[in-house]
Amino acid sequence: MGTSITLEQNTSAAEACLEAINGRFEGTGITASIEHHSNAKKYAFIRLNCPPQHWLALAKWMRHELNVNYCSMVTGTHFPDGPDERGWEVAYHFLRQPIEDQKPNTYNVMVAEELKGMDIPMEFEVFMPLPQGDTPSVPSIQSIWVGADWNEKETWDLVGIRFEGHENMHRVLNPHDSPEGFHPLQKQHKLRYHDHNEMYDDPQGFMRKPADEGRVK
Amino acid sequence: MAQMWITMGPQHPMTHGLWTLRVKVDGETVVDTEAELGYIHRGVEKICEARDFTQVTPYCDRLCYVSAMTWANSYIYAAEDLLEADVPERAEYIRLISAELQRLASHLMWLGAFGPDIGNLTLMTWCMRDREMFLDLLQELGGSRMHYNYPRVGGVKRDMPIGFADRVIAKTKLFEKRIDEYEMMLDESTIWLVRLQGVGYANAAEMVDAGVSGPNVRAAGVNYDVRWAHPYSVYDEVDWEPAVEKPTSVKGADCYDRYRVRMEEMRQSCRMVLDALNKIPGGMNTNYASGDEMILTKAPTRAPEGATGFSNYECTRGASQFYIQGGGEGRGKNPYRLSIRSPMFITIPFVAKTMIGYKIADIPAIMGSFDPCIGETDR
Repeated sequence: MGTSITLEQNTSAAEACLEAINGRFEGTGITASIEHHSNAKKYAFIRLNCPPQHWLALAKWMRHELNVNYCSMVTGTHFPDGPDERGWEVAYHFLRQPIEDQKPNTYNVMVAEELKGMDIPMEFEVFMPLPQGDTPSVPSIQSIWVGADWNEKETWDLVGIRFEGHENMHRVLNPHDSPEGFHPLQKQHKLRYHDHNEMYDDPQGFMRKPADEGRVK
Repeated sequence: MAQMWITMGPQHPMTHGLWTLRVKVDGETVVDTEAELGYIHRGVEKICEARDFTQVTPYCDRLCYVSAMTWANSYIYAAEDLLEADVPERAEYIRLISAELQRLASHLMWLGAFGPDIGNLTLMTWCMRDREMFLDLLQELGGSRMHYNYPRVGGVKRDMPIGFADRVIAKTKLFEKRIDEYEMMLDESTIWLVRLQGVGYANAAEMVDAGVSGPNVRAAGVNYDVRWAHPYSVYDEVDWEPAVEKPTSVKGADCYDRYRVRMEEMRQSCRMVLDALNKIPGGMNTNYASGDEMILTKAPTRAPEGATGFSNYECTRGASQFYIQGGGEGRGKNPYRLSIRSPMFITIPFVAKTMIGYKIADIPAIMGSFDPCIGETDR
């Protein structure tokens, strides 16, 4: 039979994490809650809401006290129609993985059911709403997780969120000579559809022009 | 001696795709590297914002053309989290079988591409021969050879055809013997051993900090696997154990360890597929009609604003993750934002840094042993 983390382990780890976070950060504006996935297995994870000014303190604490050693993904979202205090949002996903260096010629074969306390894998989601404006920015966590480096580069490149203190920021997916301020996942850049007549008259698309032609990108 | 920058790629056999590795060399020794990605960036995340949840699946297939099924499954788990869909158990078993067959095909593609890097052309022809068996099986499920568009929110598109299970059993059992053949050929080959052993060390904790996952970390002696750590599907019901390899040195796992761990992973996939066929609810030689409640549950098609879905999935190259926000166009019919985390996007810059200190001739071995795929990297 395959080994797997049980729901009880998952629940106890989530509760322990929530208690630790609330104990340390109560009253700072950081809110934490236990959420459950809605797909088949219904496992729990920790969801945090964090104002940008507390982010570095929270990140460092998570890394060293909660042993959250894996930065999975950084997602920026643009909400041009949102309220003033939430024009942008950065969502971070972290994992806690019980991984340590091994001595040569040894291995660590973990049995999921026997993992306890801080060794139980856990998932963390951190939301950081940013106010409306042209220059959304959050502190960079590049120095805390090496894995955040390229995630942040990608988020800046595609969404235009600035990461204060990020070293060696450059375009990664867009061409290096993309115009300054062009971030394709911002919502003012629309996908353009071609109607039937246009396709019929110009099936190879030589005469097509981008919808935002003439405007500064 | 003067140092100089050499550009390897975007067209170079080492790259396994389109990207550029800039290497600073001092004689034969690599002293600095820089990775440049983005040559085949297609804007999948943006395109998906204008597609409904079913229409996104084919784009996810095309993220990685060697392991389409696992990427589509990965997306589907996130969409199910977002849409709060339930999945019948038979569909979960079929997804498991299809994902593991895809893992076999993908690892064979990796081994087949890795062989010529090291100077073993025979390996490529052997691997292509065996990969064809699994592509044929996947074709029976999805209808095409590489991009299947097979899983659906709430289940799978259609049931396994009659006779599919027998063919899976025959081919998997044959392939288990073939793995031994591969090992006999490779582990006795001096060229293979000399070029892989003692090259490209990477430590487990260092890799995790840098965001590397999957078989590359398991090669360094830790059996961490998303399939048991963040359980999805029915991996807890079938018989398997995560592949793991003992690291050779205090510096961590070398290229040879990463090759060994993938061979073991192929064995485990075979074992899983055979066991899943025995345990599948409804029996392995039954064929339910498309849309039958045994293989597909009705799922909502719209997600409200504020709803989020996240999946963490053991893809063939590591943990692939999807994060979806609901409330997009068409009153929530489309995702508002769909974000894809590709394991290789994070791994390639890390691998570029591990090459420092090795000879320029080791670069193909090191890069190939991490199994790069540029389709998913550039999205």
